[in-house]
Amino acid sequence: MGPPLRLNAVAFVSAQNHPILIRTFSQPKQDELKYHYIAHTSLDVIDERITAAGATKSTGCYLGLLYVEDVAVYGFMTPTKVKIIIALELSDNVVRDADVITIFKALHTAYRRSVANPFLRLNVPSDNVTDHSLLVAAGGQKWKLFRQRIDEICGAVTLPGAAA
Amino acid sequence: MNSYPPELLAQLAPVMFVAGLDVPSPNPQEATPSRQQDPFAVLKQRLRDALISQRKVAIWQPEKAKIFQAVLVDVDVRFPPRKLAPPEDQQYQPLHSPLSPLTPSSPLYPDGLIAPIWIRKHTTLVPSVFVLFKRIYEHPQPPPNQTGTAHADFDRDREAEERRRDTELAAEIAQRKRSTNERSIKLTAVLMASRRMLDDPALDARLTFIRRQSGLDPRAALFVLSPVTQAEIGDFVRSLQEALYEPALEYYTNHSKRVRRKRNKHSQGTVHIPVSPLGAGNSPRPLRPEGWTVRYEYKMACFAEFRGEDEVALKHYQDTYAALLVMFGSTAILPPRTKRWAEGKVLADCISVKICKLYLYNKEHAMALAHHSAHMRKFSDLSRGWGIGEETFEFWSWLSRQHRVFAELLEQGNWSTLEIPKHTPVPAPSAAKLAAQAAGPQRNAMEAEALRLLGINPTHALQHPGFYYYMAAQCTESRRERFLRALESEVRSIHHGSLSPGFANEKKVDHLAIVLELYTRAYEIFKKNSASPQGRQQLWIAYRIAQTYYASGKFDMAVRFFERIAKTYRREKWEAMLRPLLSTWYACAQQLGDMELSVQLLLEMLGHGVVVDQEDPESVQEDLLAVLKSTVPSNPEQSLVVDLTESGPLLDSTTIFWTPTISVGESSAFQITLTAPPTVQMSDLPFSSLHVHFGGDLPPVVIEHSQPEGDEGTASVQRIDLGRIHAPHPNDGPSPPTDVQANLRWPTGSSLVLTGSLGADFTTILMVTKLVLTLKQNSWTIELPLQPNSSRTGSICRPQWLSSVDPVRFLPIRGEAHSSVTVQNRPHRVSVAVAHNSPAYLGEDYPVTLDITNLDDRELNVVVDVLLHPLEVEHASSDISLDGQNSTSLVKGVALGTLVPGANITKTLILSVKGAIGDRTLDISVQSRTTGPSVANASPPSPNTSFTGDTAESLRTLVIPSVEAIKAEHTVRYKRPAKLSRGLGDLATFEADYSEDAGEAVVSTTMACIGQSGISVESAKLVREDGTRAKVRSSFIDVDEESFLSEWLTGDEFCDQCLISLSRDEDDTDDSPIPGPGHYEVSWRRLQPDGVKGSLSVSRFPLPQLRPPKDGLIALLDIPSTAKLHSPIAIHLTVRNQRLVRSANVVVQFDLDPLTDGFVVAGLRQGRLPVLLPGAEYRMTWNLIPVECGYVQIPKIKVTDRRPVIDAQLSSTNAAAIAAGGRPPQTDGEEVKIVDVRAEAVVEGSEPVVADSTRRGTILVLP
Repeated sequence: MGPPLRLNAVAFVSAQNHPILIRTFSQPKQDELKYHYIAHTSLDVIDERITAAGATKSTGCYLGLLYVEDVAVYGFMTPTKVKIIIALELSDNVVRDADVITIFKALHTAYRRSVANPFLRLNVPSDNVTDHSLLVAAGGQKWKLFRQRIDEICGAVTLPGAAA
Repeated sequence: MNSYPPELLAQLAPVMFVAGLDVPSPNPQEATPSRQQDPFAVLKQRLRDALISQRKVAIWQPEKAKIFQAVLVDVDVRFPPRKLAPPEDQQYQPLHSPLSPLTPSSPLYPDGLIAPIWIRKHTTLVPSVFVLFKRIYEHPQPPPNQTGTAHADFDRDREAEERRRDTELAAEIAQRKRSTNERSIKLTAVLMASRRMLDDPALDARLTFIRRQSGLDPRAALFVLSPVTQAEIGDFVRSLQEALYEPALEYYTNHSKRVRRKRNKHSQGTVHIPVSPLGAGNSPRPLRPEGWTVRYEYKMACFAEFRGEDEVALKHYQDTYAALLVMFGSTAILPPRTKRWAEGKVLADCISVKICKLYLYNKEHAMALAHHSAHMRKFSDLSRGWGIGEETFEFWSWLSRQHRVFAELLEQGNWSTLEIPKHTPVPAPSAAKLAAQAAGPQRNAMEAEALRLLGINPTHALQHPGFYYYMAAQCTESRRERFLRALESEVRSIHHGSLSPGFANEKKVDHLAIVLELYTRAYEIFKKNSASPQGRQQLWIAYRIAQTYYASGKFDMAVRFFERIAKTYRREKWEAMLRPLLSTWYACAQQLGDMELSVQLLLEMLGHGVVVDQEDPESVQEDLLAVLKSTVPSNPEQSLVVDLTESGPLLDSTTIFWTPTISVGESSAFQITLTAPPTVQMSDLPFSSLHVHFGGDLPPVVIEHSQPEGDEGTASVQRIDLGRIHAPHPNDGPSPPTDVQANLRWPTGSSLVLTGSLGADFTTILMVTKLVLTLKQNSWTIELPLQPNSSRTGSICRPQWLSSVDPVRFLPIRGEAHSSVTVQNRPHRVSVAVAHNSPAYLGEDYPVTLDITNLDDRELNVVVDVLLHPLEVEHASSDISLDGQNSTSLVKGVALGTLVPGANITKTLILSVKGAIGDRTLDISVQSRTTGPSVANASPPSPNTSFTGDTAESLRTLVIPSVEAIKAEHTVRYKRPAKLSRGLGDLATFEADYSEDAGEAVVSTTMACIGQSGISVESAKLVREDGTRAKVRSSFIDVDEESFLSEWLTGDEFCDQCLISLSRDEDDTDDSPIPGPGHYEVSWRRLQPDGVKGSLSVSRFPLPQLRPPKDGLIALLDIPSTAKLHSPIAIHLTVRNQRLVRSANVVVQFDLDPLTDGFVVAGLRQGRLPVLLPGAEYRMTWNLIPVECGYVQIPKIKVTDRRPVIDAQLSSTNAAAIAAGGRPPQTDGEEVKIVDVRAEAVVEGSEPVVADSTRRGTILVLP
């Protein structure tokens, strides 16, 4: 295990590039908007990576380091094209891809479980399983468990001892 | 980069002084008459151009070509003084360079480190090589016609003159040589001579003379050049530099060596740096040892860079940088905020840039970025100690400059050779590959590689320069923020005066212009590097640019940016980002006084629920009302349309139809719900009317606002009934517009529900296309179109149906909510009944009855199509026939005429089933069409509603199994001919009509009725088709047809036998079966259940193929069936050789056992028959007298063919074996079958009864 990573923000963006949930953990809370912008601009790099991956027939979900600002931004795209973006605090250490992938997989699982919530469809008119607004709604204020899961993952990342 | 001395940043290259290429400024008086230019002037000009243009001073120049930095100088240029003797104490003070900190007149005196002027000295004042261009003297051509003595005189004159001129030239060069030797600079002379001169044999001698006289080096010191073309000049310049490159390197190496010596002496502490007497007192301390280390290392780095040794240079620069850090680490060595401190900082920054650059030359991107970040980090730490930490604008200014310089460096690199690495993740290598790497020889390298595969350090991931410009811009924004704060505190504490000298300067800085410039550069680079068509990164930077424009008061520019950015943010629903954008945009619009835009933005902000002021959530609405009340639109005549469908709509709207489909003339209830969001205050917006637009020709319904009496208008749900809205037929005039009144005010969370029903008299699709809210205030008219179904992001609108207003109750709508209603024609009530008696018999015309009844109240025109599906069974064929139309697949458009209500028509479809049994599939389509315009009464005015009568179709699919009515089975028995066939030699066999008797066949045919319904057989006969090999001799059916003609019911069987005589052809040698010589033909009618007989059908059953048995050698035993005791009877044995080629040697043995056999025999007991040729037979007779009664077995007869024994003896070497005394093989030959002709009529296929030793026939002996 490398040095602990500090997770500053997590963003889920839908296949149509609509934001699903953006969760920030950095200490000054007013930065929240900044991570919206970071998530949005990351979509460009994700697009680029996907095009490149399509050319090389690569099938991995992990898109690697997207860019570095005052945080390091990593990207991941699920098979349903939901993009997960995380911002890690910069530290002068090698960030192991395996660690980042672990975080992404945990986040992906959290999202999957939240979307599988049957109550999400309680008042939905159509029976369309892949209804886009539904997938976006999973990040809505109403669904606290999703946020809670994400927060738990963040806690586990920042304090690796607790996770073990 | 402009903020740093260019000398400290530029890439250094060996310096070459070039003298003697001054072109005399063209004299205007001379230039015009002589167009012919002096070739040497052209040559000089070209040389100048070639030398100057080959290299530009730049920061990024990684190429290692041997190219000099050429500096054009005067011929008699003077070098700066090498060492300056101090004005006093000349005796014992060592001499120092005028730039040395030890020289009081130096700018570095007494404690400076390195000044840009030192680099400038080495790049512009002192060369490493000196190239001197000179014309060699050329004596004029001798006059053409000279006599001997005159010629000799001329030559003598010429030689003397040349010698004199050469001596002068040599002296001039020698003088130059002296000055260059002083500094061990290589001097090279290039003598320019005309082409003619080059061929002069005396030239070599003259050149040698000049070189000797002037003291030039023997090597690469003297060139001769004649006026040549441009290309050749390039070659010359290249070869000149090639030749001089090594001396240049040597020159810089010597410098390095000298500096290293000094440094070593210095570090060993052997040299005591004298304290200048002037240094005493208040003046600052002289340069400390650390400072000298910096100087020496820096100089060595520069000299290495001159030599192009990047790695050495990097090493020295790093040492310099380390030494500098040591100095900065102590405020004692380098007191902050002094001049030297500032110089040192600039030097450190520049060295840092050089280190980064050298790493990048070597493609070590991570190292470069690591150094860059480390530099910023270290100096940030130091800055804190110096009191210019993060809270000061100085710090941010410096940091911004670092980012910017780095960005500029990358950008310059990008123009030529630098490539920014991509940080795509590498796929994890397989375990085998890792193991192979671990076992490999270069383990360390592999480990490093493996480590890199694990992941990257984000701080070492180099990105394109746009990012660094962006960060520089952000730092500048922070700088401005700190500056404004400082300004504020200055204003507050006005008496204390200015705090720092830098502050005064800072006031002159236009921060926003810098920010804008940096953002713009970042934007351009992002744009260049972006592969995504969306350009979200650019949008983000554009947003920053727009904010900067706003801050600097260029509102119109900001608005243009906002407009573009908002499009993408709206489309992708990033509301969190859209809200601050809208606020700033609105502020811009206010500043610009663009009222339409303000109104538009305020409405959009309402839609997004933007709250400008946290304390006053209604401020947006109030702002909007204030704008509407206080201003007038630019064009009051025209209403302002604010379409918010792309962004968030003002009101959530849902439109639901109760049923998705209705018939013409009916109507479907609908509800349109307009709900205000629960968080946004908009109850005071003065909406005046709401238009509901339906599709098609329906007029819009207008709902006017009416203020309700009293305060009861605050009900959360308001229901307005619009009544029944019926789409008129196009021929009717437009129906009068419906006007309804409602309270068009939406308190938070309240809803307006419009109910009604919608229908039409023609087929169409009805829906609500658009809702338009009109807002009126003073001269403002604003139209807000709304989609019939839309909701703000994040809220899923559950479809519900208002069932009661008081109390408010909604029915949730399950399943799909219908947003449109389809009006269809009423279905035609046509009953189609199909009757038939399955299964169909093969060969029959099978009737299917269609019974069509019009149960509707309209007249219907009925047309029938029948499709017969093809059947995938071999030989199967069938066709259909309806109303005279025949087809094997499709009968189309059989018109059955018009059926009045209640009328009924019956049609019979005939299906003929032929070939093979199998299921036949029929699709019957009955199309009905209303006959006339029952609703509309005139021809249609528009094509899209043209009335052609509506059609409907009812479909029936029939699967009709088919079976055979009669099944016929045959059994065949064969009899051998009793007669002897004619011999081979009989001439009659050559007759044309000769046919050899091959016995006869008896065919028994059993015909059974197996269908479900009986049949009535009307005729039954055997139709003969006699062939050459088989002829029907007689048949029972010929005799008694009558007994067949009756009604056959299921399971009935009738049998017929027919006798067929067979014959054989000579050439009929193969085993092909004989085709049956006829067929039975049975004509029958089906017996319908109602007793009616169906159509006449004919079934044919061909006689089977015949395969008479083929014998080779056979014995036929003819015995009587009965005998009388003691009366003799004769039995005959006929041995027949029916083989085609081989003869037969037959031995007959008649074994009579006197004890058991009840006969007395007269005849041959054992004997050999004559040789039987093929086709021959031999008949022998025994007379038997029975002596017992009852079934008496006939005695045992054995017939043996000896021929195989003889064959065996002949064909092998048995003859020799016999001669040798061996026994011949004990074979008695082949036993021949004996057939009892009484039982000979064998059933086909089974073995004939053989009267052999085990199963012998019997004779009934009667007393």
